[in-house]
Amino acid sequence: MDMKPVMMSIVVLIPFLTGILIPLLPFKKRGQMMVFLETMMVINSLLVFAILTNPPAEQFALVRFTGDLTLSFKIDGMSKVFGGLVAALWPFATLYSFEYMKHEEREKTFFLFYTVTYGVTLGIAFAEDMVTMYFFYELLTLVTVPLVMHTMTREAVLASRKYLYYSLGGAAFGFIGMVFIIVYGVSPDFVPGGSLDPALIGDRINVLLLVYVLAFFGFGVKAAVCPFNSWLPDAGVAPTPVTALLHAVAVVKAGAFAIIRLTYYCFGIDFLRGTWAQYVVMTAVIFTIVYGCSRAVKETHIKRRLAFSTISNLSYILFGVTIMTPLGLVGALCHLVFHAVMKICSFFCAGAVMYKTGRSYVHQLDGFGRRMPWVFGIFTVSSLGLMGVPGLAGFISKWNLAQAAVASDNPLAFAGVGALLISALLTAIYMLTIVIRAFFPAKDFDYDSIKDVEDPNWYMLLPLCVFAVFIVIFGLCSTPLVDFFRTIAKEMGSL
Amino acid sequence: MKETFSIMIPILIPILTGLFLLANPAVKKRSVLLGIVSAGLIVTAMSVFAVILGDGDSFTLFYLTKTLPVYFKIDGIGRLFVTVVTVVWLAAGFFSFVYMKHEENEKRYFGFYLITYGVLIALDFSGNIITFYMFYELMTLLSMPLVLHTRSREAVMAGLKYLFYSFCGAYMVLFGIYFLNRFANTLSFTAGGVLNQELIGGREPFLLFVVFLMILGFGVKAGMFPLHGWLPTAHPVAPAPASAALSGIIVKGGVLGIIRTVFYLFGADFIRDTWVQTLWLSLTLFTVFMGSMLAFREKVLKKRLAYSTVSQVSYILFGLAVLNPAAMEGALLHVIAHAFVKCTLFLCAGAIIFQTGKTRVDELRGVGKQMPILLWCYTIVSLALIGIPPTGGFLSKWYLAAGALDSGIPFFGWFGPVVLLVSALLTAGYLLPITVNGFLPGSDFDYEHLEKREPSMCMILPVLILTVLAVAVGTFPAPVLSFLTDVIGKLV
Amino acid sequence: MDMIRSFPGMSIMLCLFAGIISSGMKRKAACYLNSALILAVTAMNAAVLYYTVVTKEAFVFVMGKFPAPWGNELRAGMLEAAVAVLFCVIMLLSVWGGRKKLDEEVETGKHNLYYVLLNLLLSSLLALVYTNDLFTAYVFVEINTISACGLIMIRQIGRTLEAAVRYMIMSLLGSGMLLLGICMLYDLTGHLLMSDIHEGVLRAAAVPEYRIPLVVSIALMVIGLSVKSALFPFHAWLPDAYGYSTVSSAAILSSLVSKGYIFLLIKIIYRVIGFEFFCNTHIINVLFIFGIAGIIFGSLSAIKENDIRRMIAFSSVAQIGYIYMGIGLGSELGMAASVFHIFAHALGKALLFISAIGLTDVSGCSRKFIEITGSGYRNKVAGLGFTVGSLSMVGIPIFAGFVSKLMFARAAVGGREKMLATLIALAISTILNSIYFMKTVIRIYTPNPDTPYGSVTIGREKQYAFAIVLFMVLNIFFGMMSQPIVDLIHAGIAVLG
Repeated sequence: MDMKPVMMSIVVLIPFLTGILIPLLPFKKRGQMMVFLETMMVINSLLVFAILTNPPAEQFALVRFTGDLTLSFKIDGMSKVFGGLVAALWPFATLYSFEYMKHEEREKTFFLFYTVTYGVTLGIAFAEDMVTMYFFYELLTLVTVPLVMHTMTREAVLASRKYLYYSLGGAAFGFIGMVFIIVYGVSPDFVPGGSLDPALIGDRINVLLLVYVLAFFGFGVKAAVCPFNSWLPDAGVAPTPVTALLHAVAVVKAGAFAIIRLTYYCFGIDFLRGTWAQYVVMTAVIFTIVYGCSRAVKETHIKRRLAFSTISNLSYILFGVTIMTPLGLVGALCHLVFHAVMKICSFFCAGAVMYKTGRSYVHQLDGFGRRMPWVFGIFTVSSLGLMGVPGLAGFISKWNLAQAAVASDNPLAFAGVGALLISALLTAIYMLTIVIRAFFPAKDFDYDSIKDVEDPNWYMLLPLCVFAVFIVIFGLCSTPLVDFFRTIAKEMGSL
Repeated sequence: MKETFSIMIPILIPILTGLFLLANPAVKKRSVLLGIVSAGLIVTAMSVFAVILGDGDSFTLFYLTKTLPVYFKIDGIGRLFVTVVTVVWLAAGFFSFVYMKHEENEKRYFGFYLITYGVLIALDFSGNIITFYMFYELMTLLSMPLVLHTRSREAVMAGLKYLFYSFCGAYMVLFGIYFLNRFANTLSFTAGGVLNQELIGGREPFLLFVVFLMILGFGVKAGMFPLHGWLPTAHPVAPAPASAALSGIIVKGGVLGIIRTVFYLFGADFIRDTWVQTLWLSLTLFTVFMGSMLAFREKVLKKRLAYSTVSQVSYILFGLAVLNPAAMEGALLHVIAHAFVKCTLFLCAGAIIFQTGKTRVDELRGVGKQMPILLWCYTIVSLALIGIPPTGGFLSKWYLAAGALDSGIPFFGWFGPVVLLVSALLTAGYLLPITVNGFLPGSDFDYEHLEKREPSMCMILPVLILTVLAVAVGTFPAPVLSFLTDVIGKLV
Repeated sequence: MDMIRSFPGMSIMLCLFAGIISSGMKRKAACYLNSALILAVTAMNAAVLYYTVVTKEAFVFVMGKFPAPWGNELRAGMLEAAVAVLFCVIMLLSVWGGRKKLDEEVETGKHNLYYVLLNLLLSSLLALVYTNDLFTAYVFVEINTISACGLIMIRQIGRTLEAAVRYMIMSLLGSGMLLLGICMLYDLTGHLLMSDIHEGVLRAAAVPEYRIPLVVSIALMVIGLSVKSALFPFHAWLPDAYGYSTVSSAAILSSLVSKGYIFLLIKIIYRVIGFEFFCNTHIINVLFIFGIAGIIFGSLSAIKENDIRRMIAFSSVAQIGYIYMGIGLGSELGMAASVFHIFAHALGKALLFISAIGLTDVSGCSRKFIEITGSGYRNKVAGLGFTVGSLSMVGIPIFAGFVSKLMFARAAVGGREKMLATLIALAISTILNSIYFMKTVIRIYTPNPDTPYGSVTIGREKQYAFAIVLFMVLNIFFGMMSQPIVDLIHAGIAVLG
């Protein structure tokens, strides 16, 4: 049975309502709020999955802006990937944040925006056209600013300002792309393979390519493409659930998602492939891959290190995108999903450490492996996953990315494969130094000095374990998922 | 050839036993621990032999992606390597029963020791490059705790260096695999290569670059210049039995990788008479010479042995790079000989450290008077490494030199054997002084306070067995040679 | 229905008379009269709007008994009516929102004078919107200037006096140029009525030697009006005038007065010169360049500003730049975008001024950023209003600013050589806008636990809260339901020409 189209807007709106209800409802105890929130999240995620498995055939128009520009939802393969990813991660992240936020102030405000962000992210996933996506994209910036600013320290305020300027500025360039798509497209909706109308383009190919590059970098701000990435490590001042879910998954992946939409569903890969625009964006992406990793190696604050790692890994996704072949899309989608799981996992580990011990620098982690065996065991799994050890999720996505690059016969993509591997080496360096420190402290290390360190309770551990299990499962049997990505990519052309 | 699960048994037993040891806090008593470890080692060894004496089974464990099976297969090279691994691993394992007494955290050591064993068996049985790569990375990761076991600052830094060098090499390999997958029919190891000429279509120069990168990548583990830097750092800091295993076996993982790449994936003909072969030959020869020179200058015994490994493994690589049957036979013989010899040498060094605490070469005067059996073993295997008949080392070097002279490769055809000879002299120069000083400490030696310090049987026995094997390979080479000829016949 | 045709004239007259009557009334009475008057005028203009939309054409209303060449004509189309309605609404809300501040800042004795000025201003604005006669336009431009000066000066502190003098000088310079232009046109064509001049212009344009004087006269008028509406670089008077006058004045000046001139310019372009001819002169390129320069420099100055009111004032310079840029695009779409932006900006800027005053009031009347930290919590309505206004200025979807940005961009994409410049300007301006507006929004929502200032509740300032909420609703309405308005604008422009 297909779902009613209106359901699409309902799942987007439920988090909004839930979020607004949190400060309004008179909860007597913290526990009640937790139960309420978690129930709503789970219900919403279940609804999302119900919709994704039985997608409604028609679109659903929520609001009509001007004439042909509507806020409307429709579910296609890409929506399933991103929507499903978000819906799968959110309840776990919420569970985790209950424990994490215990000691923070202004919890209700936090959960308000945290929950609303869920709806906004789903809005991006389900958007049928560029305008809708742009709308939710801007909204995403706005609702996440309070989260970044949450601690209200001077640092946080500065970080949120930076985040805001970067994101809104980026969106301004994305806006240019959107306008061109509206004017030069056969329809404002996303069309697999591109919606440009060849009859309208005429001799303005170079202008369109320039616009593509501008829009790429515009949306690339959220996806932290060099040189627009410095907001991301700074935004790490936010509470860890935010850094983990938003700055490793929802927000940054929204940027990557937007670029996929822009490249594969608007401008079209046939139009872009082999042009100077492709080389420009690919060069930037390849540079970012290496740059992010190198910076991560230098960082000593765990969360900032992971943030730089995110920068690099996001560019893996974008590298897949900029190959501009259907196979490239497969690689990009793989990494979109797998990196989300791996990075949220490692962030949550870092958060657990900070929460339980208040320590946040790499050199303070000596010997933690023995005291927090679960957390660091899982951290090791996610590290190995990020490095791309075969048998874990990271290998599969890198394999797919590299295969796409190799098959594209583009010399720059070959160089990109090299960059992937250099980055993998650097990943090994910055992740494994933490692991080794934790498990193999110096010989005369005094374990009594970290007596207070212990594993967190199950609220925190459950999400961690689930993610770790998924890293392994994705690594060992990725075929069904990859096949699904291939069906999406097939709409763009033969693989 | 049939698909059977039995191939997994020798892989799983040590891994599971090792995991059990690591995860189970209940195992506290030393005797229980040693009982489990020895049982694990022996059962594994038995199952290994049971499997390789069968008719070459294969088994597909699962599929990473649709086209990437994790696939095991037993073939000639695999049998050769797995036998060497098993012998060395058992010997070093039993040696460590005594040796590890004076180290902390034995359980972790033995746990990782067993797991690494399983991974090595899997590496040798790997039927395609992806499986190989997977266990290659695991080998790096799991042998790392052995390197940094003592957890001194030096050891941890060495462990990290080992890790990052290895990953650097592994990723070069992975780069190659990515491209190979595009231009090959299959990624399964097939004698003679798997390249598909149609798919290549004029991209040979690029593929040559790829194969060179892969050789260089695997060469990291094999200690080949220019990425050999980790080896002299990492091997000496590990506990002696671990150094023995690392130097005798883990470096051979790189050798196996290169054999698989060159002979089973690209095919020897693909790189014959290309710049890759020339460059590869020169790198190996340079490494041979450089390793010997550095060993010659080194004063700490274990470091000296590590440099010796750098040099000796490049003998093997040189033999492979010549790309003809005789040289390859020499190379494979040297794999065996060097594994036994180097393991013995490290075990001897370990026994000396264990008994006397001396690590520097110049402290070892008169050590032969203290532990004569040990030093005799040391001397015999040193001679084997130098290449004195009738030991294994002589035979392998003979074949290496003969193969090189026979190959018709300009310049390297005669230059190679010369370098090998010079290096053999250097080998004598850095190994034999210990014998000389050990047995003949000179007239001013203090015989008064001399006491017998011969290590216990548990330490001596593995050393003895390995020594005998190292000699036996040279003395009774017929079965080994016929086996190798059979294997090589399909390749070159 | 014929009565509706007389509404435009009637509303202008009503305003004039109300102004005269107010001068003799008490404070309270003048206040009520003013509100009632604006409501009545709004209703009348709404009726006109309805009438024109239904009849789908413009009508001409002859004032008095004299026919065209001598008498005075008013002309009402959809666009004029819509602008008139919007002006009335904004004025009403601005006055309501700034009432409390007015009571505090202006001497009690001058209050009814303030309402006199407001009524006069409204009448002049309506006249500018409806007139079909260049000379009438000029007369009301002057009335407008004088009453605007009064509005600035009514709060008697040194800076407003200085600002008023500056404003006066610049404005008079502008009106002088406008007058010169009108004179030259009269000389060329012999007419003052717009439709007649237009025919004359068409005839003169055909003759080569008339072309230069024609262009000069057009240029004079355009420059005159752009000086008056504070196009960069003629904006020097603006920050002080908007920044220090009482808040209603500031809101009205920025939202209405400058827009009145711009609307007059648009009328002149269509009704007098003819759009085609205008686009063929280089004047539009000049307008385009100065528009973009205004966008950039206005925003840059706003970023440097440390005073919230002056920051908003500088933002006006940037927004006016947008409008001139749209005119400079020289296309129907660009013009429509400019007209929409007149609406959007008027709504947004008035809202910003009114809510800014709420924020500074709960911060000890200091307008420095350091003091307003956390004021969004102390005056929630004002904080919300400021946020909405800021988001609209930045151009976030669902707010009016987004639609105008979208329209500008679409208009630009249709063109050729000006396309990239426009788009890049839009993008950069968005970034700059987000820098200064969002910085302020973040600041007002950064808690300041040791602030000495208390907070206010909605209950105590009902009128103020009502004004702000209505502004926000209007803004969002324009952002979400823009299609009918855009259609109206297109139809209105079609009828105009």
